[in-house]
Amino acid sequence: MINLLRRHASLMVIGTICAMAAAALWQRDGGPAVGRALYHAWELFLFIMPSLLAGLLLAAALRQLVSPGALARWMGEESGWFGLMVATVAGTLTPGGPMAAFPLVLVLASAGADRGALVAYILGWSLNGFQKLLVYEVPLLGPEFAVMRTLITLPMPMVAGWIARKLPIAWEPPR
Amino acid sequence: MTGGQAFLWLLALVALGFCLRRGPGTLRRVGAETGQSLGKILPLFCVALPMAAFLAELMPADAAVTWIGPDSGFLGIVVASVAGGFMPGGPFVTFPLVLAFTKAGAGVPQMAALITGWSIFAVHRIITWEYPVLGWRFVAMRMIAALPLPIAAGLLAELVLEWVPIGIGSP
Repeated sequence: MINLLRRHASLMVIGTICAMAAAALWQRDGGPAVGRALYHAWELFLFIMPSLLAGLLLAAALRQLVSPGALARWMGEESGWFGLMVATVAGTLTPGGPMAAFPLVLVLASAGADRGALVAYILGWSLNGFQKLLVYEVPLLGPEFAVMRTLITLPMPMVAGWIARKLPIAWEPPR
Repeated sequence: MTGGQAFLWLLALVALGFCLRRGPGTLRRVGAETGQSLGKILPLFCVALPMAAFLAELMPADAAVTWIGPDSGFLGIVVASVAGGFMPGGPFVTFPLVLAFTKAGAGVPQMAALITGWSIFAVHRIITWEYPVLGWRFVAMRMIAALPLPIAAGLLAELVLEWVPIGIGSP
């Protein structure tokens, strides 16, 4: 059950919101407005499609070439800021969505990465993942904004990882 | 094709070249995996992009100004950070919506805070992935460690904007 939900949760939630928004727009502005919005969506799709395809190809190729477990020996409890930096960079370079990233967190944990490094890794991926940046943020929001936001948030995963190491919460990686 | 897109294709072709050197089997696996990912993402695109477009049409032109406009300051940054955490879905939802908010009058630092809040907190991702895979204790630890970051990102962006004028949207 949870698996089915996990696989289709986004689709169902977004689909519901989409249908409600379409109905509301239809009632307020009529059918042609809905048509215009759909055309905008189609244009956006054509705009994103080339980078999306390249991003997915790159993600699949990287998964064949790189084994992330090998990096984990630099991410142990005694690795200090250097370990947090390695974890952040590894996260930034991890392509793909949560279905790709979270299983990798388990791989890193069993290969010796500590909790600070894991926090830094997740945040590096979610804040500044290069694929998200190149496929969506740069084309849609413009390079200036994307570069500014990336530079501002670049050190944040390391800071969060450092704090996570200090927190008095007992956590063991699941087996 | 924009510069970023060309760069991405270049990276992809280089990586594919390395895969080919390992043998055609590797390349076939890359192809199969890309097809699978497309199969998962395309249905999402079919509902996410129209949703963003409908919401953008529905939003009155100045709807965002009061809460998350450029003059909303610290409170606007907090509101945007929290709102970001509740944005449903992946980047294909969030970035088109940010564009829509901007057209409706949202401020640039507030949008930096919103994207950061979404990246860090994304409630739907915690429920569907982080909690089942890593457990509540890990979620709590990561949330506490990252709690102030979206607000920090918004404030830093405000600081940057005092020196460099930066807008949102392709030139």
